[in-house]
Parts: sequence; structure tokens; C-alpha cells
Amino acid sequence: MSEKYFLKENMEKNVSDYDFSAFKKALKMGQNKVIKEIEDSGLKGRGGAGFPTGFKWKLASQQEADLKYFICNGDEGEPGTFKDRLLMEDSPVKVLEGIMIGAFAVGASQGYIYIRGEYAKPIKIFNKIIKEAKKEQVLGENIFGSDFSFEMKLIKGAGAYVCGDETSLINSIEGHRGISRIKPPYPIEKGLFDKPTVVNNVETLSCAAEIINQGSDTYNELGTENSRGTKLVCLSGDINEPGVYEVEFGSMTIREIIQEFGKGIKNNKELKFVIPGGISTSILSNDKIDIPYTYEDIEKAESSLGSGALIVVAKGHDLIDLMLNASRFYMDETCGTCFPCREGNRQVHHMLKKAMGKGIDHNKTELIKDIGKTIRLASRCGLGQSSLNFIGSVIDEYPNELLIGGVDNG
Amino acid sequence: MVKLEIDGQKIEVEEGTTILEASKKAHIKIPTLCYEENLSIFGGCRLCVVEIEGEDNLKPSCATMVQEGMVVQTHSPTVREVRKNLFELIIASHDIDCNLNCLTCSRSQNCDLREIAADIGVTEIRVPPLDKGYDVDESSFSIVREPNKCITCGRCIRKCEEIQGVGIFTTANRGPSTIVTTFEDKGIGNVECTNCGQCILACPTGALHEVYHYENVWDALHDKDKHVVVQTAPATRVAIAEPFGAEPGTVATGQMVAALRRLGFDKVFDTNFTADLTIMEEGTELIERINNEGTLPLFTSCSPGWIKFIEHQYPEYLDHVSSCKSPQQMFGAVAKSYYAEQHNIDKDDLVVVSIMPCTAKKFEAVRDEMKEDVDYSLTTRELSRMIKQAGIDIMNLEDEDYDQLLGVSSGAADIFGSSGGVMEAALRTAYEIITGTELDNIDFNNVRGLEGLKEGSVVINDMEIKVAVANGLGNARILLEKMKNGEEYHFIEFMACPGGCIGGGGQPLPASNEILEKRMEAIYDIDKNKKLRKSHENPMIKKIYEEYLGEPGGHKSHELLHTHYKERGI
Repeated sequence: MSEKYFLKENMEKNVSDYDFSAFKKALKMGQNKVIKEIEDSGLKGRGGAGFPTGFKWKLASQQEADLKYFICNGDEGEPGTFKDRLLMEDSPVKVLEGIMIGAFAVGASQGYIYIRGEYAKPIKIFNKIIKEAKKEQVLGENIFGSDFSFEMKLIKGAGAYVCGDETSLINSIEGHRGISRIKPPYPIEKGLFDKPTVVNNVETLSCAAEIINQGSDTYNELGTENSRGTKLVCLSGDINEPGVYEVEFGSMTIREIIQEFGKGIKNNKELKFVIPGGISTSILSNDKIDIPYTYEDIEKAESSLGSGALIVVAKGHDLIDLMLNASRFYMDETCGTCFPCREGNRQVHHMLKKAMGKGIDHNKTELIKDIGKTIRLASRCGLGQSSLNFIGSVIDEYPNELLIGGVDNG
Repeated sequence: MVKLEIDGQKIEVEEGTTILEASKKAHIKIPTLCYEENLSIFGGCRLCVVEIEGEDNLKPSCATMVQEGMVVQTHSPTVREVRKNLFELIIASHDIDCNLNCLTCSRSQNCDLREIAADIGVTEIRVPPLDKGYDVDESSFSIVREPNKCITCGRCIRKCEEIQGVGIFTTANRGPSTIVTTFEDKGIGNVECTNCGQCILACPTGALHEVYHYENVWDALHDKDKHVVVQTAPATRVAIAEPFGAEPGTVATGQMVAALRRLGFDKVFDTNFTADLTIMEEGTELIERINNEGTLPLFTSCSPGWIKFIEHQYPEYLDHVSSCKSPQQMFGAVAKSYYAEQHNIDKDDLVVVSIMPCTAKKFEAVRDEMKEDVDYSLTTRELSRMIKQAGIDIMNLEDEDYDQLLGVSSGAADIFGSSGGVMEAALRTAYEIITGTELDNIDFNNVRGLEGLKEGSVVINDMEIKVAVANGLGNARILLEKMKNGEEYHFIEFMACPGGCIGGGGQPLPASNEILEKRMEAIYDIDKNKKLRKSHENPMIKKIYEEYLGEPGGHKSHELLHTHYKERGI
């Protein structure tokens, strides 16, 4: 099997070499048809939450306002995820085109691309792209002779994972602390500087550009009923060939992806489990990965496709060490606003640290699960709600291994 | 109107009501920590989460609006479990340890966390308490901050910013290192804090409290060589009964006097006396400024939180501030001069203690301009502690009277304790002195009440005197900005705390709007029931001018009763 190129087509790095055919097509189609086309394609947000993109655009286009904002979320922070980086580095002009199509569709005249601060190369590239686009009059007044005018700025993130959450990202652009906002109001009603705002992921917008370019019919031929098109899968962990691979939804099982693209497990070890959507998602043990790679099949297996980060874990790792690693990440990255997330992740980290090298007793694993339930049900944003998915699922799957005196028995 | 069901009860509330408010109407109590009436919604503590039919996650009732047909469970099994777990986590972050520091906490008597723990029915704490290891902030003369007890609910931040318009607190760092702190961690005493103490009223834990002086007062009381006199501010008498279980609004003037005598004070005097004196001095200053085209409007100077606010924020208006010392400081000055001389007491042996509804008074007492006047300033809360420490059953004591002569006052002095009171007292006197005729109606109702900004005008000898009243420093700022935009007034009363001194940062907890209203009613009741209701008619005021001070605004008065201010910068 080989990769299915849909997104990886028409990768271009220079504005002057790109013809913006999808955007020009969008201008001709008009706002409503563009939105309809994206709705028909069934495209879901690729940042992790999977919200239908066309529906978001439709709601935003219906907002009455003197000014609307369109933001491209390039704050790719989910551990194990690096597909937006690939798009921003190798296909930046298509990302720009996606932003322009979205902005045109919802009637936004100002836009931002928010790129995580550690992504030095994408930042450099987008600085250049925006400059070039202004020079070539791809950004500015009456683009390509149309009524549509659009300005864009680049914002560098300051290294907070939570700013990948759209309301935190908006706070960050406004110069406030990177903390989530209470919803409602949702950004499409009252977002950046209190104006209607759409926030879309880099991959989502690249998809949107390609959908307009090739048509939703072409797109619909790919994938399954509920998971249309293709997905960039970030394959990492104990495999021989990590990388970003474009996979047509439903065409391969998780194991096939690992075997075909990842070329199997490193050092001929046995696979223990995979984390199918970044460390905010629950693990799938070796016996559960013979399922098609789709949103629905992974959900049926009680996990989530998330951002498309497929982390493969072989036998032989200290599970508490893995959990501690994840826990340290969430403890550091919780924004500190809502109590369950801040205090819960702190306590879980504390308990795992104490258990390192020794194992953990049953009362403590029960406590961690209670804390996990509390955080999931009561915290404000996606970061908190999903912060103990990985740890909780490891406890559920390997209860005996974690116990004091327990051994790795596969 | 929106119809919904909460815990099986069908209720109807207005659109835009939160589930928390709607539940209150249905007589259901939902625990909260970061929520406070008058402040913006934070939605951080998550204790108030409820289950809504059809929703996967629990929703914070403080931040969720009611919707038609909504079915809400405020205490479902899931909600109760989540609250219990959550509370365990909160407690672990609150610096409770084996040293029984709960007992020594400023809030040991009225801890919000304890009340919530009881409501939730917490039976075990499975997570270990964490030592956060922060230093106590003791940089201020008025307020102490113990960051280890802070649960970062942000109420102090919002109170200072939204109500007081000052904003000395902020959130710093992220994750579990998230803390509430001051600019560059400089400490409360080194930023533009006004010492108003509203943050203490907002704090649900003991992370904020006043700088305690009561141990020093005990020492003075037990020192046989010292002659210790005490003065009580107007607003203390309508609040001192609350820590002893009495209904808010209970007037306990006579019982407070009796308790103070039992504590061992040699004389029990009243700040009300110098409130009347303030009216004579400030009234004279107003009349002079009007007659001699002096700087107008005249700003009152009784509230030390307000004074520090203007010194930091609006120094260009310092000329407007009355040069009168506050009643607390006037009292100290009079006690250490007139009273000491009359009774042949060596000034060094005389200790002046004040009981104040205020934390800023502690700072005022050590200002360079007048630091000899008052030795120790206690909050109403500190006095209630001393009374408890001495085992005095205050609510069953017979009423006693203040000592002569610094204990005699008019109703005009009592109303100093409430927003608009200084203005009303001044108008009663200024009107009668200027016109030489008696007022038909001495109640100036348009300057009364809890509203933050009040305006009115009085015609005195064909001249319309425009007055305004601001309480809460956020409102003070609004009024000053109005002036900047050309609005003209003759006389403005400013009080740092919402509601005036009855809502002072040194008053008993809790301090809800409802409680403030009751204290305010009590203050006006005292005034209404007094025969003597105008400062200039106070016979002892007349006497002190005749015997000692000469005339209002005269040389001796200026020496003792007036002060000056300084620009402090931001």
C-alpha cells in the first residue's frame, strides 16, 4: 500500500509560483457556494475536536458585524503531532490559500496565523509568505480584482500548550494570559476583540483549499461516510520509520499503517499499545488495533483519533515512567485557572513521582481515576477534560503491572 | 421568562439568569468559592458544577444561563462525587498541616472552606497536603498576605480591579505555580495599594488579613504605667455584634462601651466626638473656599484609603482635598494635647487606641505627617477577638455610656459611618452657620443609600451648592474623570469602601450587600433617635473651642487638626 496523495498534492513554497486556482474559483463561486461545498465535503476540524468545518463557516457567515476575524491555528502542541509543521514548511502557500478561502466565505477582512513559538522554520517561512503575498497583491485591497479585501498578521505563540485551545489562543493574541474563556459566547459570536471569529487548524484549511480545487465530489470518493477524505497521520514512537503519512480514511487498519508506513517495530520488539490521537487520548492495546483508521472505529474502541498523532509503544517500557512523563506535561501546561485541572494534575504527578521505581498501590490508582473523572467532568476546556485519558487508560488496561511488585507481563 | 426544572422543582425565572441565581430562588444552596456577587464571573473553582440533562460534562452554574426546558440536577450522585473529589484537591493546596495551623488562621472562626466542607459532606482527604513554600508578604502596614493559603480563586484580583479600580494584584506563572501576586512580586506595601482591605473581605480563605495590633494593645492594657484610652469609629457600633451571633444591623454601642471598660481601657471615648469636630473644621474650610474663591470642589479627607488612592492616582487634584485630619487622627491629637493637659498625664504614658472598621487606618496612624497621634489602630474584627479572648459575654452586658468629654456626639457624627453621611452632616452645619436659620428638614435623602455615585444640590442663601458622593474607589475614579471632562461641583465626599465605612475592610465577615444594607439602616436609626443631630450644636464641641482650640480654622486648630498630603506616583 502507498500513501493517498490529496493534501500532499500541489505543494508549493513560493507565492509567485502559485496560481491560487482554488481561491480564484472560490471568488467566482461566491460565499454561499463555497460554504455549501465545504459542508458537502463533510470536512471535520483536524485540530483534534473534529467540529464540522462547513457548519462553523456557515454560522460565522450569518453573524452581522462590522468586522470579522479569521485565524489559522498553527499552535501545534499535542505531543506526537507534527503534521501542521509539515504543511507550514512544505506547503505554506496552500495554507495561505485555505485561510483566504475561509475568510472570504465567512466575510472576514482581517486574519492571523498563530504559530507555536518553537516552530522557528514555519515562522520564518510565513513571515516571508505574508511579505510576498502583500507584494504580489494576493493580500490587501480588492484581491484579484474582486470586492474581497484581506489583511493578515503572524503571531508567535509563547510556548503554552493551552493556546492551541481556540479561546486561549484568542486571549493570547489580545495580549492576555493564555487561559480558556467561558463558553458561550463562542468565538463565532464574540471572539477576538469581541468580534465574530473563526479559528481553523492548518490541516483543515489546507484540506478546504484542496476541496475547492478538486471539488467535494472528488473528496467524497475518499474515505468513509463519517470520515471523509484523507488524514495526515503523525507516526512516531518505537517504529522504524517515523514520519507524516497521508492515509485515506478507512483504507487501512491501524496495524497496517504501522507495518506499511512505519516499517514495523524497532529492534524487532513486540507492540504493546498505541496512542491513536496524541497523549490526550486513551491507549489501544495490541489486540485492539486491527480496526480501520476512521473517526468512528477509533471512537468505538473508546478512544479518539484526535489530531492524528499515532504513537506506537513497544513492550519493555516502564509504564509508570511513561505516565509520569505525560503527567509532567499536563502539570506544566495546565493554565492554572480551573481548580480540578490545576490541582488534579499536580496531585497525580506527585503520586506518580513517588511511585517511580516502586510501583503504585491500588488505593492510589483508584484515587487517580477519581481525580481523572473529576477533571474530565468538571474542568473548563479540552486540555483539562482530556488530560488524564492516557493515564487512566493505562491503569485500566494494565492494573496488575502497575502494582507494587508488579511485573511487565505483556 | 424562562421555564426550567431544578432538582425536580419547576420554576420560572427571567432570561439571562444563571443556574446559580435560579437555584437560589428555588431555595437551593450550591457551594461556590470563586463566585462573589458584584464581581465578574471567573468560573475557576468548579465547585458549583451541576448536571444538565443531555450534556456530557457538568456545567458551572455560576457561568451557565438558564434555558427553556432545561432539566438541572444540582446535587446528583455524580455532582456530589465530583464536588467531594474536587474539594479534596482544594484542601490539599491550602496549606493545612500537622501544626494545626487551622486553629491559628485569621479565619478560624468563619472559614468559607470549612463551611463548604460541611455542606459537601467531606469525609476523607486522600491527597497529601502540599507545601507550596511561599514567603508571607509583610511589606504593608495594613495588610498581610499568606500565599500558601491562597487557592487562586481570583476574588481579590477582581475586587481590587473591578470594584476599586486599583488593580494591585495579578496572576503570575502557570500550572500549579500559578500564584496571585503584586507587580514584580514587590509586595503589597510597595505598590499602589490603598490599604482599603476590600481584598480581605473578598478572600474565602485566610490568605489575606490585617496587620494585627491587638497583642500590642494587650501589652499596653497590662502595663500599669500606661494610661490607655480608646476611641470607637461610627461604623463599629453597628457591626461589633455580628461576630457574637447577633443579626446584622444590631446596634451595640452601649455594650461595646461596657466591653471596652472590662478589657481594661482607662477611658472609653468616641471617634464621633472628633467627627463632629471634623464638621466644624471642614465646614469652615468649605465656607472659606466658597467665599474666597478657593479651590473647589472641596474633597473630604476622612477615608485614608481614598487619600492614598488620590496621592497615587490623581495627585493633580491634591489641592482639592480638605486639610482636615481624619476623625481618628483628630482624636489622637486632641487626646494627646487637650486631654493629657487637662488630666495631667504625661504624653509618653498616654496610649491612644482606635477601633476602626478599616485597615487603611493602620497606615494612616503611621504616616510621617502625624504619627504621634494614634498608637494602635484595631479593626472591628480585632476588637471582637479581644472580647472573645477575655471571655466577655458582650451581648448580655448592660449598656454603658462613653466617658466625658470626648465621648459626646451628635447624630451627624454617627452617620459618618455610612456613604453620604459626612456630606449630610456637613450640609446640616454649613446651612445653619451660613444662613443663621434652622433647617426645616435635616434629612438629605438623596445622598443616602448604597449606590456608588450620588449627586444632589442645596440652595444656601440663593447659592446652589452642587454636591456629589462616591463610595468605592472605582466610583471615585469615575467621578474624578467626570470632573476632568468639565463637570463642576462644590463639595464631594469620597469613601474608599463600597457603602462607606460600614463596608470597611476591617469589618466582620461576611460582608454581603444585604448585610451592608442592614448596617446602614442601623446607622440612620441611631441618628434618627438622637436628640442632638447637628455637629455645631454639640455642647462639648462648643466647650473645647472655648477652652482650648479657639475658633474653627484658627491657629490652634491648624496646628492640631490639619495636615498635608504628598504625591506618591504609580
